[in-house]
Amino acid sequence: MVSRPRASLYRRRARRRIWLSILVVFGFALSGVAGAFVYFLPAIRVAFADTGHTIQRSAPRPSSASPGLSVATTQQPTAAPAVPAPSQPFTVLLLGSDNDSKFASESVLTQSMILARVDPVSKHVVMLSIPRDLFVPLYSGGTDKIDKAYSRGGANAAVQTVENDFGIHVDHYAWIGLLGLVRLIDSVGGIDVVASNPVLDDFYPADVISANPYAYERVAVLPGPQHMNGLEALQYVRSRHGDLRSDFGRSQRQQQVLLALRAKAKLLGLADLPDIANAMASQFLTDMTIPQVAALLPIASNVTLGNVQQVILSPPYSSSAQIGAQDVLLPNWDLILPEVHKFFPRA
Amino acid sequence: MRRALVTLLLMALMAGFGFGINRFLAARRTSEVTAHSVNRPTQTVAIFTLPGTLYLAQQGDIFKLNGGRFTDLDLPSNGSWMQPAIVPGTNDIVAVLRSAAYSDLYLIDSRGQVLQQLSHNAVTKSIIQNNHWMFWPRMASDGSTIYVSYDEPKTSASYRVDFAIWKGTLNGQLAGREQTVPFNYTGGDVSATPLPDGSILYAKYQVSGITVFSQLALQTRPLAQPVFLTDSASDCGQPAVSPDATQVAMICAGGTGLQSTRLVVAGLQAHKLVSPRVLVDNCLCSAPTWAPDGSGVVYYAPADSTGHFQLWWIEGAGSATPKAARQVTLNLDFDALSPPAWSGPSASAEAAATATPG
Repeated sequence: MVSRPRASLYRRRARRRIWLSILVVFGFALSGVAGAFVYFLPAIRVAFADTGHTIQRSAPRPSSASPGLSVATTQQPTAAPAVPAPSQPFTVLLLGSDNDSKFASESVLTQSMILARVDPVSKHVVMLSIPRDLFVPLYSGGTDKIDKAYSRGGANAAVQTVENDFGIHVDHYAWIGLLGLVRLIDSVGGIDVVASNPVLDDFYPADVISANPYAYERVAVLPGPQHMNGLEALQYVRSRHGDLRSDFGRSQRQQQVLLALRAKAKLLGLADLPDIANAMASQFLTDMTIPQVAALLPIASNVTLGNVQQVILSPPYSSSAQIGAQDVLLPNWDLILPEVHKFFPRA
Repeated sequence: MRRALVTLLLMALMAGFGFGINRFLAARRTSEVTAHSVNRPTQTVAIFTLPGTLYLAQQGDIFKLNGGRFTDLDLPSNGSWMQPAIVPGTNDIVAVLRSAAYSDLYLIDSRGQVLQQLSHNAVTKSIIQNNHWMFWPRMASDGSTIYVSYDEPKTSASYRVDFAIWKGTLNGQLAGREQTVPFNYTGGDVSATPLPDGSILYAKYQVSGITVFSQLALQTRPLAQPVFLTDSASDCGQPAVSPDATQVAMICAGGTGLQSTRLVVAGLQAHKLVSPRVLVDNCLCSAPTWAPDGSGVVYYAPADSTGHFQLWWIEGAGSATPKAARQVTLNLDFDALSPPAWSGPSASAEAAATATPG
């Protein structure tokens, strides 16, 4: 029989052991969390830096359908419209830029502008490429190529130019730089693309691989199915000199690569976040918050190809012209607006 | 003392655990998983043996596959080697060495010895557009006549760079005579395959509106109007003609939104394609090549979502009842733009030799 003091001692020892065990387990758990935290730190840092850049909307501007009207330049910020519920269809303006050293970092052109309408319930997506040379009234004032909207007022100006000219409401925007696209594609292990034709260009900008922003290089993307790394994919979506369809061909290739990226999104897991964050660091901006981006990812990966509609505003929606020294595309608003409003509700 | 040691040990273990978690997460990255799923061919063996010898390109090197084992040709590493082609009647191959701004053809023996540089498409001048590309070499059965896709010499300052099919000889001028007239600003004409009657079958890129597409085209005379063997909606290319020139394997992408392709085989009769059969649908199939005896077709396609191209084999591809596709390689990453080059012995001869005792 065990005496009372001895039993008490055993109990104390047992309790101590339990506490020690709990402490050791807690220590391991804390250490594991610390290891994971260090791993995800770049993602957390970038997520906070690059997301949630709210669009500063101003009072409504005259519609683009009346391009002759002058545009006032005073900006009176208004309250941002309510963010649509996750189940409601929404519109995102995707912007891609040549953020090379030819331009100051805040005044780059957007060489790619894709309006995407996403219906999370039906999992239906419409992608409409806006030609970069479309000659339109800019939100910042005057009429010029639409790719200059971003350079003259950042994402706010690009979004509001599109809203005013096309008479639609844009819920969100996402801007990505060239290097961001390259790194993003590399971080998902490359993309699988069926190159539409030999994409040959003797005057392809070598600004990504060269210190000289005006240097150029020869590229040859050969046709057919292939696995592309980031630089190869960039050549495929950026080249336009050797293409009879000029910017329209490039727009098609850009949409194609977006769809190929969507296919890879299915493979991504939590562990990919730091790579993606590093890829996007200073190369990505959006007004979406982290939860909104997180909510978008499953939608993107669940959309089937059959549910993706691609729209290009080629002739007769636009026609080539020369204004000053610039080759531009003149919009045929009478055709464009009804087409756009089939997919994107009027504002 | 003992307690301090135990505490220190526990702390070290905890730190190691934290580091382990960190590295575990790093190892689960898609890019890491994808990169580690690729071996050099010489580190692997084929799942089953194909007869004869195949030359295949992976990540800028050319490998020989013989008896189920790979050998690295160990070619000079001053560019990316690709698109090998058999020189009929010899053990040699012609292959493309691609550099940043140009590509050249080389004659190489079966041991990987470079015998001759066949073209000189590099310019030393700073005018980068004076360089030339040369791709898709294909030899005629005489072992001397060669067809290539070549961006023709530029006569004026222009953005236009298009491939045309050029015909030459191994011992003469490689791009001797232009055979086709490309549709300007489409990328042009590629993948020429000579037919026994002297005509050539190739893929011609064209534009209608803002749609670019490829059609199989057949040309009997230099610079003549081609006869189209496929329609524009099918968007077919990469023709491979069977050794007896009665079947054509091709890759078509029409109606897929350029997110997938299909492997199609059709009969070739009197310069027309008949009875097309889809052998593999909804794939990223590429680079079909017939066995030297016409008993089947190999092609490249990814086996999983990593997108790395493996070698596949379809026995009886030219028959009415082809067998199911069989994967030949694992965890490799072949260059899907480089059709394999395949030289005999014939499958039937090897099978007979295997079956004969002694």
